[in-house]
Amino acid sequence: MCDDCNVRKRVLIVDDHQPFRAIARELLEDAGYIVAGEAADAGEALAAVAADAPDAVLLDVQLPDRDGFAVATALAAVDGPAVVLISSREADDYGKRIAACGARGFIPKSKLSAAAFAALLE
Amino acid sequence: MTSAAITASPRRGVLRDPVLLLPVAVAAGLAIGWLGVHEGVPGARVAADLALSWALVAASVVMLERPRWRRASWLLAATAFALLGADLEWASSHALWTLGFVIEGLWAAFLVQLVLTFPEGRPWSRAARIAIVCAYAVTFGGQLVGAFVVPDGRDALSVAPHASFAHTVDRAQEISGVAVALVVLFLVVQRLRALRGPARRAQAPLLMAAAVSVPTGVVWLGWAIANDAGTSTLGTIDRAVAVSLPLGVVAGIVWSRLRRPEASELVVELRTEAAAGMRERLARALGDPTLEVAYRLGDGRFVDATGRPIELPQGADRAVTAVTAGGEEVAALVHDPALLDEPALVESVRATAGLVLENERLAAEVRSQLAEVRASRGRIVAAADAERRRIERNLHDGAQQRLVTVSVALGLEASRADAAASDVLSRAQDEVEQAIAELRELARGIHPTLLRDEGLEAAVEALARRTPLPVTVSGTTRDRLADPVELAAYFVVSEALTNVVKHASASEALVLLEREPDALRVTVTDDGVGGASVTADSGLAGLRDRLEALDATIVIESEPRQGTTVCAEIPCGS
Repeated sequence: MCDDCNVRKRVLIVDDHQPFRAIARELLEDAGYIVAGEAADAGEALAAVAADAPDAVLLDVQLPDRDGFAVATALAAVDGPAVVLISSREADDYGKRIAACGARGFIPKSKLSAAAFAALLE
Repeated sequence: MTSAAITASPRRGVLRDPVLLLPVAVAAGLAIGWLGVHEGVPGARVAADLALSWALVAASVVMLERPRWRRASWLLAATAFALLGADLEWASSHALWTLGFVIEGLWAAFLVQLVLTFPEGRPWSRAARIAIVCAYAVTFGGQLVGAFVVPDGRDALSVAPHASFAHTVDRAQEISGVAVALVVLFLVVQRLRALRGPARRAQAPLLMAAAVSVPTGVVWLGWAIANDAGTSTLGTIDRAVAVSLPLGVVAGIVWSRLRRPEASELVVELRTEAAAGMRERLARALGDPTLEVAYRLGDGRFVDATGRPIELPQGADRAVTAVTAGGEEVAALVHDPALLDEPALVESVRATAGLVLENERLAAEVRSQLAEVRASRGRIVAAADAERRRIERNLHDGAQQRLVTVSVALGLEASRADAAASDVLSRAQDEVEQAIAELRELARGIHPTLLRDEGLEAAVEALARRTPLPVTVSGTTRDRLADPVELAAYFVVSEALTNVVKHASASEALVLLEREPDALRVTVTDDGVGGASVTADSGLAGLRDRLEALDATIVIESEPRQGTTVCAEIPCGS
């Protein structure tokens, strides 16, 4: 799909679980994305966005320092990259916070696929 | 805590027993009276001086019944002798005349001190202390200066007789005397308005007498200033009015004693009526609206009638009297220290109240234990909740996180593999997904994350969405409530909806959240078969501890074929 856009999108992966980041990287790269970097917590994520200016962020809700909603809100406030939230919980567990934080959407981690990710970025 | 008596240090002779002052005062008065008559002093003036001094001594003796008034008692006696001493000015002896001249106004300063330190002998305030010092400076100090300069042949202290300077000293004394008197009057009126309860009964008569006597003194001084000369008539009236001061002291004691018949009525009242309202009755009997009753528990702590722990006061502004029954302390009366001056009254109430207070104490002890049990149940539930939250987080961060990674990895490999392998991998992924879903349900049942993050309304709405039949949620909690309240309400809804799904064969259910001023009401209704009951192993029975820790009630209505209504009411303050 990104072959169609001529420009391959650059993605930052934010998750505190390293094995998950590794799988997510493979999955995204298989689909033609460039993984611009990885971050294990909110602080690293904000620093990586400032340094690498990715097109999109795959952002876990539960991070050790601040939660993903705070990161998404901060990025939305500065008109930053598109954010797709992921979590091992379901959307129902977060109520209205997903809609309120300025993210493009939410994918339960177990349902994560390149197609679901791309659909939210369109 | 103020102790019951201030004991006087041992003294000798007349100082040990002021009753002996009576004959001394009578003899001194008669001697001065004879002197006055012999020197041609007007009879009315002699009579006024004798009446005032004898009244002062008599009142000082009456006051001895109150140990805490001992200082005031001595001050009254001193005033009497200062007054008689001032009359030595009638004597022809130069030495006696000079003595009389120097202490001429001392009795008035003594009275100022008496009033502004009444009843315990300490000045009421800093302003009172300053007024007392000024009164002594004006009367005693002024006369002493006058003694050096007054042009009178009888003056033994005369060093530089100077008529106009002596006159100036006189005027200065009179003008500053008026100023001090006005300050005293202000302080007295202020005190009169502030006094309450037993202190008012005991002190108000003297203060009212002062409120009359001080203006009389001001008129006397004012006349002297205006006419540039003293007047014997006004001086006589002034002394006659001052007799109201010792009378006021005695009246205060008598007025306080008038409470006693009410205390004996209490005996009848307490034995015939239930103990409820004990505090009000005791407060009425003792005439102290500030009275508090502290019940003593077996472990020595004190609680109020509702079983709440209270501390006995330590300061001097409150007094504590122990009440015993069968030789054991059952309660403490916390009251105005002025009641310590009426030991007979307190004793009669104490003796009467003992038995009834013993019953009240037992009731208060039970209430206190109930409150403790409830508090401890609350702590147990809260500790369990904290543990559940920890387990939920561990499940989520641990097993669930790893399974999710496995699932995504399987999905990725399935997309890369050939058809046969892809099919196996996809089925494996489905199994893992199923495990994740079950784990998630388990975690939610242990502790609902959404409840903590978003509150009861959002959590109940999520519950409703997950329930496999139509559930309508209405009403509001208005704002966030305490964690235990939200958790209890959530689990009631959760258990009730589980029962609806399992047993009710209902087509729909309704959840209603209602916020009362001091409670949250949660109602879950279905249109199913009814006939439900709470058995020991049902989920709702499992909520008993949680609900009782909050003093909550739960009612289940479930007539056959009428549907089921579960209604919980959880107190939550406002």
